[in-house]
Amino acid sequence: MNHTVLVCDDAIFMRTMISDILSQAGFEVVGEAESGLQAVEKYRELKPDLVTMDIVMPDMGGIEAVREICKTDPDAKILMCSAMGQQALVVEAIQAGAKDFVVKPFQPSRVLEAVQRVLA
Amino acid sequence: MDLSKYAALFVTESREHLKACNTSLLEWESNPGATEPVGRLFRAVHTIKGMAATMGYSSVAQLSHCIENLLDGLRQGRLGTSPAVFQLLFRGIDALGRTVEAATVGTEEPVDSALVAELDAAAGSQSASVSEEKAPGPPQHARRATDLPRLRQVSVVIRSGAVMRGARAALILRRAESLGAVSGVRPPPAELERDEFDGRCAFRLQSRHSDAEIEAALRAVGEIDTLLLEEPVARRGEAQGVTRHIRIELRRLDVLMKQVGELVVAKNRLSSLGSQIGEPALTEVSERISRLVSAMQTEVIEARMTPVGEVFERFPRLVRDLSRDLGKQIRFDMEGEEIELDRSILDDIGEPLLHLIRNAADHGLESPAERIVAGKPAQGRILLSAALERNTVAIRVTDDGRGIDRDRILAKARREGAAPETDTLTDDLLVRILAKPGFSTAETVSGVSGRGVGVDVVMTRVRALGGTLEVRTELGRGTTFVIRVPLTLAIVRALLTQAGGERYAVPLAYVAETVEFDRRAVTAVRDREALVVRDQVIPTVHLRELVSAPAGPTSARRPTVILEIGERRTALVVDALVGQQDIVVEPFDAPRGLPPFVGGATILADGAPALILDAAALL
Repeated sequence: MNHTVLVCDDAIFMRTMISDILSQAGFEVVGEAESGLQAVEKYRELKPDLVTMDIVMPDMGGIEAVREICKTDPDAKILMCSAMGQQALVVEAIQAGAKDFVVKPFQPSRVLEAVQRVLA
Repeated sequence: MDLSKYAALFVTESREHLKACNTSLLEWESNPGATEPVGRLFRAVHTIKGMAATMGYSSVAQLSHCIENLLDGLRQGRLGTSPAVFQLLFRGIDALGRTVEAATVGTEEPVDSALVAELDAAAGSQSASVSEEKAPGPPQHARRATDLPRLRQVSVVIRSGAVMRGARAALILRRAESLGAVSGVRPPPAELERDEFDGRCAFRLQSRHSDAEIEAALRAVGEIDTLLLEEPVARRGEAQGVTRHIRIELRRLDVLMKQVGELVVAKNRLSSLGSQIGEPALTEVSERISRLVSAMQTEVIEARMTPVGEVFERFPRLVRDLSRDLGKQIRFDMEGEEIELDRSILDDIGEPLLHLIRNAADHGLESPAERIVAGKPAQGRILLSAALERNTVAIRVTDDGRGIDRDRILAKARREGAAPETDTLTDDLLVRILAKPGFSTAETVSGVSGRGVGVDVVMTRVRALGGTLEVRTELGRGTTFVIRVPLTLAIVRALLTQAGGERYAVPLAYVAETVEFDRRAVTAVRDREALVVRDQVIPTVHLRELVSAPAGPTSARRPTVILEIGERRTALVVDALVGQQDIVVEPFDAPRGLPPFVGGATILADGAPALILDAAALL
């Protein structure tokens, strides 16, 4: 069975792009969230195998969302999506429980490598 | 030959062996069919006998000889085990411990002849006199190295082309933490957030996993160029299972720590002067000194770090004895023994834990009959666990007993005039009531935990360490007490805040985040002002009011520090955030009447004194 993914980003552009990369690689995108709050709710509802999480989002940022999700599921497989220069935030997200990260602009191969590591 | 210089070594080593005896004996008692524990026990007693004979401590030698005889019979299957035999062995080991202590202070005790007679009778033979026997050869090792988690030095270089190498290093550390206890991380974690990080990091990992497993798990994090696992240099002697000794007098480490503390203050002052003057050569020297002092600080703190297991290891025996005395069946488990704490904190944590464990066994757990009626297994369970949480170590004592009856506590508190205004007793309030000196709900005074007094003692001790005490309890299901202490006492990373013209330090270990106090986000909960942060209502404390500073002009938006201990949060509203700094906690002789929210004092980088706020008192 294909792995299920929840894509969280406040920009439709990014969500579409990530969804495309992952769908073409055989993943099943089961949900999208445009805020941290939604990400937490959808995670609980959908129990996806993988989450991609933008750091900066309205209504609870990505890091807080990671913390919330990991509170109930410490093994949640969350991949952070970060922009250049956000290293401190990425470190914080990792300490909150994120399992790996990719840096924008995305190269499909890089994204898939990170996804494989997280799901390994 | 002058033997006196070996006396200290004798006592240190004998104590280690006696501890091993207790551990092995407990293990053996719980599984009388096992052959491993009796072998270890025999070797440990044999080693003590050999050392004692060499030192000329004849009482120690005679007693260990009798115990050894009995063990030999048991080991070879000539004799069978029974509860009476185990009890006799426990008594024998206890007596041996007393004799060892007495011998080393020069007041050799005569051997307890009744005990010797019992041991001999059990062994079914007359013991041969020790003096006729040759001193045994080199001591055998009571502990096997493979039983224990092994310590390795791990060095990692992250691929130079990788993006955000610091974040990659953070992932490696997280992965390592899932394999065991991580310590001595270099560079310090804050460095990882800087773009200048060169991709090299190193740390110590104490883990039960094999080298190959560790390497595979860490490599799976990705982007790793080289990965090296080594035996840490300083502890190479341990590889063969040689007993560990503290060869440095603890006092020296204390002095060193204090001096490094002073050095940190001077370093902070130097770098603040350096940035004021702005002379590049000075800045360079100052930065170099900063790095050296930081490295030295890490080293000294590490030298003082000791696994909590050293304090934990006496509790299985305690619980065993308690279970006999109380007529209760208790299963006792320990977790996280490898977690490390500053020696001075560790020394003071034993007594509070003793109180909590006694309380759990005596008041927490029901009798087997009561448990069966309640539909629980007859055997109760107590779990002692340690875990690293943020910059603190949380030690939990959990029982699956009757839980604390909130209604009874509330009624009792009302009668004693300590009645809280609410009808529902929260965990916070409960722990505060339990910790009132002399407060007791125990209806009968038992020999084990007295009048139920103890929580106040625990609270006082833990607060003195800069720690906190929490309780969670569910009627019929059990109770958990959580002691939370900082990793080290002497130097803490703090957030400097300002209010009414003065600066106040808040230990970062308790800072969850900083937000802006916005009048529009203020609400009221039970007449108390509270701040709404991302849908969470957090009660506020205004630092100015707290320190009785004159109410000056206030802007609508002010910086606010969210303090967090466990689940509890408070929003501390300040005038300004000054920055982060390593501060040296100065011993503080609290004059009477000192406000409870002051946890200590420190000297800041510019030489001015500042008070350290006690986060626990603000929540």
